[in-house]
Amino acid sequence: MTYVVTDNCIQCKYTDCVEVCPVECFYEGPNFLVIHPGECIDCDDCVDVCPANAIFNEDDLPEDKKHFLALNEELAQIWPQITDQKDPLPDAAKWDGVAGKLEHLDKSVPEG
Amino acid sequence: MAPKEKYIPSETEKAFLSTVTNGKYDREIITGLKKFVDGSVPQDMQGFYSKEELDAIMELDGTDKDLQARMPVKITRHYFEQALKSKAIQTLVKASPKETYDLDGAEDPGKQMSYSPVEGLIHKYELGLIYVASTCSAHCRFCYREELIAKKEITREDGTVAAKGLAKIKDIVDYVLEHNRLVDENSGRHPETNRERLREILMSGGDPMVLGNKNIAQWLGALSEAGIESIRIGTKELAFYPERFDETFFAMLDAFHEAYPQTNLRMMVHFNHPDEFLAKDPDGNYIEHAQGGLEWIPATRASVKEFARRSWINIDNQSPIIAGINDDSDALRIMQRELKRNGVENHYFFCGRDIVGHKAFNVPIEKAWHILNESQKGLSGVEAHARLSITHYKGKTEVAAVTNTLFPGVKGGENGVVIFKLLRSAADAPDRCKVTIVGRNEEAIWFSGYDDRVIMDEAELFSMYDIQPLTAIAAE
Ligand code: SF4
Ligand code: SF4
Ligand code: SF4
Repeated sequence: MTYVVTDNCIQCKYTDCVEVCPVECFYEGPNFLVIHPGECIDCDDCVDVCPANAIFNEDDLPEDKKHFLALNEELAQIWPQITDQKDPLPDAAKWDGVAGKLEHLDKSVPEG
Repeated sequence: MAPKEKYIPSETEKAFLSTVTNGKYDREIITGLKKFVDGSVPQDMQGFYSKEELDAIMELDGTDKDLQARMPVKITRHYFEQALKSKAIQTLVKASPKETYDLDGAEDPGKQMSYSPVEGLIHKYELGLIYVASTCSAHCRFCYREELIAKKEITREDGTVAAKGLAKIKDIVDYVLEHNRLVDENSGRHPETNRERLREILMSGGDPMVLGNKNIAQWLGALSEAGIESIRIGTKELAFYPERFDETFFAMLDAFHEAYPQTNLRMMVHFNHPDEFLAKDPDGNYIEHAQGGLEWIPATRASVKEFARRSWINIDNQSPIIAGINDDSDALRIMQRELKRNGVENHYFFCGRDIVGHKAFNVPIEKAWHILNESQKGLSGVEAHARLSITHYKGKTEVAAVTNTLFPGVKGGENGVVIFKLLRSAADAPDRCKVTIVGRNEEAIWFSGYDDRVIMDEAELFSMYDIQPLTAIAAE
């Protein structure tokens, strides 16, 4: 099992989750974070701190978010690890709760 | 959220931390039973629980006998592979309805919360215990930290109710510095508690080894800076996922030792059964090694050897004696011999605590003593160091002897007596090495089983609860 970041993180990227994760298993893209399913130790600590309520226990994923498991797995392979908390993206509050964010997901690998 | 006051590392610490890298670990953990029920676990894991077992467990879901709420179910691939070859490991890691048949037990049997001056710290002896992680790579069904791991709400000294929190570096460092300052100013004793300096910290949880190297390194550095001389790490990761002890981890330890050569490290490891570290042939038997001893699981042995190579690190094993897992003298004999042979000291065995649901796992005190005593027959002196201990509110207590010699006039005395010896007592250790003698009760799993047959109570294990020795009662 693992924990999974879902769409409400897109364009928000508050990184409170990174701060609490004991194993630093978050990976960072331009406007989204994902959890590495093999590295996550299922401690449940990140769920409550995520201001966007974007993180789910794999078993609790709502039907329409199930595909995020594969997406987390895929992107964790190509994105760099993030270990320190950063400021949220500038428009985070505005984007919080906006529906259908998946189309805004930027899957590119950051430079450097 | 209120802005957190950050811990500021020293220059030495920063230099050490800058060398540390985190390894990559894929433990392939399966948490919960859902995947076993819906069949989405990997092919080879299907059938680990039988259909009947799952039905019986799922029936309890959501009731007050809910097994997953009592203790989350969790296993790594490595441990699963050992479990396939071991009945004992299966009992250790597989949820079973018998855990909640009888919900008798205490939520905080050692009264730990009454010794907690800051969140995540228990300061009872000269040793402080800190909770740095709230999970382990896999979960033992008999876990005696289940309230932390299952995130249960417990009642504090001040009457508030909340889940146990984890220790924060800044809080702990501030506490240690302040405590030791007061002790030093007061010629070696704390003015209120009479305790000595805090010299040792046990990092516990959960399992600290689920944390990344950087996170562990921050603790090691900060505790050393605060003047802690000896740091212990309590872990079962050698059993659950021995690959965790990789090059990056030992590089971190070596850099730590270079930066803080005066700090001693003790790994308090937790093997319950030799099946957790010994290799087996296809028939399920241990394999004799050509050079003597038995063949180990290669990854486990490699990790133990890496520790043993470093003279500044001690490795000690401690284990409870648990029904259906290691209440077996032959298994314990092999375990003690093989551990010692590979550089692991056998420290303590202990009696299970009376935590909620304990009845499925506890072995009566006298039986546990007998099992350990039998297991040590045929071991050399150094192999048979371990003692049986039981944690009284006053401190760690040894079950020193169980006799068969008639002791007339006392309940249970027709079978003999049990001698308890207080090994360590809280605060300033006033009662260290005092003893208590009671008439036997083969069924007793806790001190309370002897309330009506106390013969002599120098250690005051019973009188602190106003339970008098029989002689005192007779004289009244
Ligand atoms: S805290 Fe939530 S919204 Fe913020 S980066 Fe983490 S998952 Fe995304
Ligand atoms: S559940 Fe724990 S280990 Fe997994 S991502 Fe969240 S904080 Fe990290
Ligand atoms: S390793 Fe220790 S803390 Fe973790 S589940 Fe087992 S007994 Fe509990």
